[in-house]
Amino acid sequence: MTVLVWLAAILFILMILIGGKKGARSFISLFLNFGVLLLTILFMTDPNADPIILTLIACAVISCINLFYINEVNSKTTTAFISTIITIIILLSFIVIVTENAMIQGFGEEEIEELSIFSLYIGVDFVKIGASVIIMSTIGAITDVAISITSPMREIFYHNPLISRKDLFASGLSIGKDILGTNTNTLFFAFFGGYMGLLLWFKDLSYSVGEIVNSKVFSAEMITILCAGMGIALIIPIASWINAYFLVKTREKGKISK
Amino acid sequence: MNVIVNKFTKMSYKKIVLYTIIGLCFAASVFFINHNDSFYERPIAKVIKINLEDTSEMIDIHNNKDHLFTQRIIAEIKNGENKGQLIHLKNEYSSSGAYDQEYRVGNELFVSIDTNTEENADLTGAIKDVKRDKYVLFIAWIFIFILLIVGKKQGLFSIISLAVNAVLLSYALDVYLYNPETSLVLICGISVILFTAISLLLVNGFNEKTYAAIIATLLGTFISLFITYLVIWLTSGKGLRYEEMQFLTRPYQMVFMAGVFIGSLGAVMDVAITMSSSIFGLYEQNNNISIKALKTSGLDIGKDIMGTMTNILFFAYISGSIPMLILYFKNASPLAFTLSMNLSLELARALAGGIGIVLAIPIGLYTSIYFVNRKKARS
Repeated sequence: MTVLVWLAAILFILMILIGGKKGARSFISLFLNFGVLLLTILFMTDPNADPIILTLIACAVISCINLFYINEVNSKTTTAFISTIITIIILLSFIVIVTENAMIQGFGEEEIEELSIFSLYIGVDFVKIGASVIIMSTIGAITDVAISITSPMREIFYHNPLISRKDLFASGLSIGKDILGTNTNTLFFAFFGGYMGLLLWFKDLSYSVGEIVNSKVFSAEMITILCAGMGIALIIPIASWINAYFLVKTREKGKISK
Repeated sequence: MNVIVNKFTKMSYKKIVLYTIIGLCFAASVFFINHNDSFYERPIAKVIKINLEDTSEMIDIHNNKDHLFTQRIIAEIKNGENKGQLIHLKNEYSSSGAYDQEYRVGNELFVSIDTNTEENADLTGAIKDVKRDKYVLFIAWIFIFILLIVGKKQGLFSIISLAVNAVLLSYALDVYLYNPETSLVLICGISVILFTAISLLLVNGFNEKTYAAIIATLLGTFISLFITYLVIWLTSGKGLRYEEMQFLTRPYQMVFMAGVFIGSLGAVMDVAITMSSSIFGLYEQNNNISIKALKTSGLDIGKDIMGTMTNILFFAYISGSIPMLILYFKNASPLAFTLSMNLSLELARALAGGIGIVLAIPIGLYTSIYFVNRKKARS
């Protein structure tokens, strides 16, 4: 048995022990997400397909899995889903501009040596794929923040059914502020851990600060981290606003029907 | 207009000072980044004219179609002894742009200048790289502004803790480079303790809630690292392909383990603080709440965050491999080979992090209950 099978088995057992049925669903969701990601990548190899549109579809499917499959379909997860999609669209249009201008697509000179056996002229648009990489690396975090805002907001709404939309929005923002720090931390450490080898290598070659900042590999990683952080921060007001809007609207509808 | 004036008068003195400092930092850094050419030793040239010279279609051995272009570029040298002179450059690029780039007027490039033999002739040279510092800075500022606008004080604290952690990590790597005989995992172990203490204390302050979270984080990460290490040792690393780390001249298995360690830390910390603040929140709302009730609500919260947290790590790790996977597939590599070459380390990282996340739930629950019990006994 390989390392991966062992680790997956241990994770599965732990998730079932602690989470029961929901734990099993969480574990299966990892596999489903992996499948979606792989399928998206295979579709991206078709030069006629637009990677941006593929990414948007993939993000929608992934957030469906994360929100509707692990949890269930209800007003919390639906508003979380809508806000995730809106955030992704805003962030994606920003990231496309960034990857185009900063020229961080494709592979850096550090990676190119080991790729010499490959043909690099493969006809797919690496700028768009670069944008898709950044958005995909944050999709997990964005859905997480979305659900962590909409679900306590609904609790607040239940306990104070007469709360105004403005106050509800403000409470969503304050919940968001509390999770902003820990969530950016999660992503930053994940990226640090992933780029550990790269960082050591830059230090080994004693690159100057100027060389590091301008190198394609490093600036691409930096931009990914920063855009991921932006996504986490952006979803907070968006999810709070949409949730406040829908909760108050359902209340008003209820009044009319009475 | 009155609203704005009112807003300004309402703002405290401290806030105005803070905003001014941030504004000044922003202005100064933007000015610096646009005028820092002379600080670079490598020659920098700004593109002022472009001629598209040649376009051709090509098909490679795997039947991938692409277009190749050749640009003639005239650029102005911005620094060094040739400052102000024009340089002629040639650039070949493809429409896919995996390792090449179309340049536009206004781009700044690092170039090498050919030693010229003839007098009075224009300079020629080759393009080395693109000057990207401007964009990195620009995005960093947008990030800072968004975090400050959305998070206010908490946003500022998270930016500070991120910056401190980044400096600390860089210092830890320096320590390792100067003492290569000490284990990188050991150095990372010490830094993990510091990271946890700094991040949690800075964001949540000195209180029992934070102490419970720190203990739970450390136990969670260390145990998950131990499990990962045990699995790798028992299977003698079967199925892990270290090819993608081969550029390192250091023992890459250790670098990988250190990466697992640091990488799962943030997520475990997140789970630990969520657990402890909800347990303490429940206790503060109702001082007579039974331990059993605390346990059930704690586990419910844990179940809720388990799935999304593991997914965060999963996507953060796997997404970086997308371009490489596409390149492999387009070069007719078989599926299993491509996945094991490019994803084995990332998947191992994600799974190890997931184990840490799940373990942090009961550990966080019981340490928080321990602290709650102590508080109860004292009061």
